[in-house]
Amino acid sequence: MNERILVVDDEESLRLSLKFKLKAAGFDVDVATDGEDAVEKLKTKPADVVLLDINLPRMSGIEALNYIRQTYPKTEAIMLTGFADFSSAIECLKMGARDYLVKPVDTTELVTRVRSLMRSRSSERALEQVQEQYSSVLVNDLIDPLRKIQGMLDQALKLSADGDAKERKKLLTSVRKLTNSMEQKLEQLIELTKEAAKNMAVAQSELNPIALAEQLKAIRGDLE
Amino acid sequence: MADKDPKGTIRYKYKFAFDDGAEKQFEIALDAETLELIQTNDQPKPEWTKLKFSQCENCPLPESVGYCPIAVNLSKLVDAFQAHDSYEAALVTVETAQRTYLRKTTLQKGLSAIIGIYMSTSNCPVMDNLRPMTRFHLPFANSIETFFRSISSYLTAQFLLMKRGKEPDWELNGLRHIYKAVNRVNEGMSQRLLDASQKDANVNAVVILHSFGDGISYFIDSDLAEIEPMFKVFLKDSVEPAEHDDVRKPPPADPS
Repeated sequence: MNERILVVDDEESLRLSLKFKLKAAGFDVDVATDGEDAVEKLKTKPADVVLLDINLPRMSGIEALNYIRQTYPKTEAIMLTGFADFSSAIECLKMGARDYLVKPVDTTELVTRVRSLMRSRSSERALEQVQEQYSSVLVNDLIDPLRKIQGMLDQALKLSADGDAKERKKLLTSVRKLTNSMEQKLEQLIELTKEAAKNMAVAQSELNPIALAEQLKAIRGDLE
Repeated sequence: MADKDPKGTIRYKYKFAFDDGAEKQFEIALDAETLELIQTNDQPKPEWTKLKFSQCENCPLPESVGYCPIAVNLSKLVDAFQAHDSYEAALVTVETAQRTYLRKTTLQKGLSAIIGIYMSTSNCPVMDNLRPMTRFHLPFANSIETFFRSISSYLTAQFLLMKRGKEPDWELNGLRHIYKAVNRVNEGMSQRLLDASQKDANVNAVVILHSFGDGISYFIDSDLAEIEPMFKVFLKDSVEPAEHDDVRKPPPADPS
């Protein structure tokens, strides 16, 4: 399905020319005449991107942006600015608009910016999915086994030095199995990271599975 | 010509009336034969009207000209609206010898109509191609009406060329090129008006003209889809152009 773009401008000729350009570039395009009309259109059919003129009658572009960011956080906004709107454009960026274009809008620039935003959105969604998978793997497959290992090591430390050798070996063998399993999970995380890096323009993650894997390998080495 | 006065002049009188009671009036006089703007000698020439100031990238005028002819002719109008917002409501009245047009509209819409006349009648070599349209000026026109006037004007020129034994351009390729060049002028002019104005009414009026120029190529690409049904009476016995492309071209010249 094509990405859907809502063009919001009070001038008919601008709406039509933007619609022509974006449709020719393969987008699904709808138009609205002002902020209030845009809000009504979004209620019936959500959009991926809203091209929003700042200077609009009735509900201004800034008011509409504020409403859209609060009500439809997954809908991105690109502001259209005319003369003397630059301070407003900056304000809009602070409010969550992703970009702004100065009229008259150059066709190539418009399509490039919208496509770039779509790619960025796609990357961010991929990143969200990866982060969800990370969280799941970390909790279920790494943190829980790590706590078990800590418990087993605490038990092993409590055993007397010359006695309980059999019990100590049993505990350490279990620890070894758990670290093997964790290593496999970390390898999966590394693959996941590599795959995500391919798809993401900007991959941002506080997790570093590669470093974690190195640390676990070191622990395993110590145990051996 | 019916709508010229006894002196052979076509006149367009524009009046902008605002909600606060303020009014501004402008009168444009064109030579009825050449459709050239009849110049007055009292036009101010501020810095932004100099030819070299944000000169259009495709400007063919030599440096010796000194001033952009469109900018000079626009200077009074631009100054009058330099502190106005584009979306301000205005009751715009346009009087011609034939009729009076009246519409409550946005200031940018009213301004785009009058600026369009100045731009095509000021002897800018690029904009001259649009000059015949000013004879059939339609204030407050929407996009489709403007596209239709543009195409009609261009096809009339092609008919006249054909009658003179020249190769007509029924495919409208020349019209695309004209508007591509026209939009370079619109872009250059919007840069000038940025400097000449505190608010956006003037600039956005040119932006509207730019959007017409942008839209017409796509409209031609669509094979005029939006207005094609209106021509059903002419098309009922014809074949679809997509399957039989040759029907869109004129018949070959008779070798005899």
